[in-house]
Amino acid sequence: MSDQSQPSKPHGPDRRGFLQGAGLVGVGAALSESLLQAAEKPLAPELSNVGPDKIPRKPFGRTKEQVSCIGIGGFSLASAPSLKEAIAIAHEAIDAGVNFFDNAWEYHAGKSEDWMGQALKGKRVKVFLMTKVCTHGRDKKVAMQQLEESLKRLQTDHLDLWQIHEVVYENDPDLHFAKGGVVEALDEAKKAGKVRYVGFTGHKHPAIHLKMLAHDYPFDAVQMPLNAFDASYRSFAKDVLPEVNKRGMAGLGMKSLGGNGQPITKGVVTVEEALRYAMSLPVATTISGIDSLAVLRQNLAIARGFTPMTAKEMETLAKRCAAGAGDGHLELYKSTMKYDGDLGREQHGFQSHKELPL
Amino acid sequence: MTDADRNHAKTTEPALARRQFLRTAGLTGASVALSSGSAEATQKPEPAKDKPKDPDAGAGDIPMRSFGKTDVKVSAIGVGGHHIGEFTAVEDATRLVHEAIDAGITFFDNCWEYFNGRTENWMGGALKGKRNKVFLMTKVCTHGRGADLAMNMLEESLRRLQTDHLDLWQVHGVTFDNDPELAYAKGGVLEALDKAKKQGKTRFVGFTGHKDPAIHLDMIKRGYPFDAVQMPLNILDGSFRSFEKLVLPELNKRGIAALGMKSMNGTAAAIKKGLIKAEDMLRYAMSLPVATTICGMDSLQILRQNLRVARGFKPLTDDQMKDLRDRHAKAAGDGSYELYKMSLRYDNPEARLPHGFPLDSTQREVKEMFKEAGGP
Repeated sequence: MSDQSQPSKPHGPDRRGFLQGAGLVGVGAALSESLLQAAEKPLAPELSNVGPDKIPRKPFGRTKEQVSCIGIGGFSLASAPSLKEAIAIAHEAIDAGVNFFDNAWEYHAGKSEDWMGQALKGKRVKVFLMTKVCTHGRDKKVAMQQLEESLKRLQTDHLDLWQIHEVVYENDPDLHFAKGGVVEALDEAKKAGKVRYVGFTGHKHPAIHLKMLAHDYPFDAVQMPLNAFDASYRSFAKDVLPEVNKRGMAGLGMKSLGGNGQPITKGVVTVEEALRYAMSLPVATTISGIDSLAVLRQNLAIARGFTPMTAKEMETLAKRCAAGAGDGHLELYKSTMKYDGDLGREQHGFQSHKELPL
Repeated sequence: MTDADRNHAKTTEPALARRQFLRTAGLTGASVALSSGSAEATQKPEPAKDKPKDPDAGAGDIPMRSFGKTDVKVSAIGVGGHHIGEFTAVEDATRLVHEAIDAGITFFDNCWEYFNGRTENWMGGALKGKRNKVFLMTKVCTHGRGADLAMNMLEESLRRLQTDHLDLWQVHGVTFDNDPELAYAKGGVLEALDKAKKQGKTRFVGFTGHKDPAIHLDMIKRGYPFDAVQMPLNILDGSFRSFEKLVLPELNKRGIAALGMKSMNGTAAAIKKGLIKAEDMLRYAMSLPVATTICGMDSLQILRQNLRVARGFKPLTDDQMKDLRDRHAKAAGDGSYELYKMSLRYDNPEARLPHGFPLDSTQREVKEMFKEAGGP
């Protein structure tokens, strides 16, 4: 366990101030002199492990942990054609210097955790391992059972980060913070030494994330969709990320390519632009869905020797994306119900995807 | 202007003045007893000869309510323009309009872009000789474009509706995050609203939208003196991204007339699934502090069903409303019954096009958009 008693300040107030001030919304606000200076600087926190062949690392919130600027998404890993390829992806990533590994209890009905557990055999100490708990409103007891299952599948005695998965419904914050709810399980798991850090994730609406944060619970991490389109549509970067950084929590980005790669296939942005933009935000890591060695190598090439974009470069890209972003069709996880998982839907009493009039 | 129209433009309609003693129902949410006395009965329009006797017709008049802070009164239920275009024959559409007027409905909704003008054309025909009996609204469909285009649309709407003025002209479908910015821009559609008012071509102005309370609030808080604002209001909205909770109080505070729509969630999916009764949905919407509830009615049967609820309407109590809201809060929570909020499929292609958003060529509305205008 690392020492959390001496919080560092990964994101200085000047950068944060600029992020809020310029808004990254691409409305073309006039920049003041000092902002123009700030615009030449990157928004991303201080990098370590820098060098042309290295995957840079960033501070995990105000802790002393350093995590790789790109992380391996657990869902996509188990979408690889075989266990063998999944293991090859994980090993090649670790060898390249990636240490952040994402997962969730419910991904592929456990296969994602199973495969990652096998891939990490003998390499557990090299990674910062995260998985998510999927109570979707159910109580602490369910959460603790899921934790035991996750640990068993991942073949470890502790997680580095355990997050509440998919906070997407407006009553989720109430359910999670209810007496006997999942938040109590986070405390219990931490105390028992089964997890080092805790957090929550969600893809739906900044207002729901803010509702979670308003409870003032000491989350260590908060995960959210962050990309060049988010900058001008129901924006997590604008509304949530500054709040997360203010509290010294680690911001974790996901869906850097819009969730389904549509912005890439439609030619709105290149993979490199999209990934560099996401990694240049003031986040600890950007979790990337990688289901083949080809995609891994493509993304590693972008992350290796990564230097963050300047705020000005980011604004230019966000501006270019703003026109197509405004209706949410490039971020369907926000604008539709298509990304809301069936387990969560079932727990809330909603009809399954099959029945949805999508 | 005809004499009747001129009179109508300056004061409330004479035909309605007699009803002004009726207290506005709903503004307090409290139950208000509505008069249906004999003095009313003697002045009622002659019922149509072919009007069937309906034992469940509902007793009393359609309540009239204040249109915001003005002296104007409108019927508590309104006829939606879009559904008028669903009829295959103009005669059927005309019959519905006439029966609605005879029953005491005054509020008529329409929109420049509905069915490429067919619904305005048909309504114009149906209102011939009856213009002074109604409060006529249509909408302008610039979707971010400027005031000049808006004024052209206004002239077309007036011509199709066969009138020299509207009672209410609204900016249609404020849906996208940047719509408020575009409307308020120099040379934007709001300048057309001012101009149309000054020229006497519309008495009141407003805007409509179905997407997000935050966008409505943005429009309102930028400060333009709208007379009316239209939004989806129904039992499920009461507990999901709620216009009722977030927008409606703001309107009433400012004396802006609130206009409800989608009382049955647009698709009536909750009714078809047996979750909620149609009557409860309409009663709930009409019990909110709104000037009127605009209903899509594509058959005489639906009109009559709605009239049964609206005649002598007594608003639900706060407790009854809360009970309905709470009972269905769980089903409301993912927005699957309010697809206009939670899907892109309700985003009007006529609005997506000028915004540069892609169109789905398989969508019925997109096909409709490229059809020729119909009607007489």
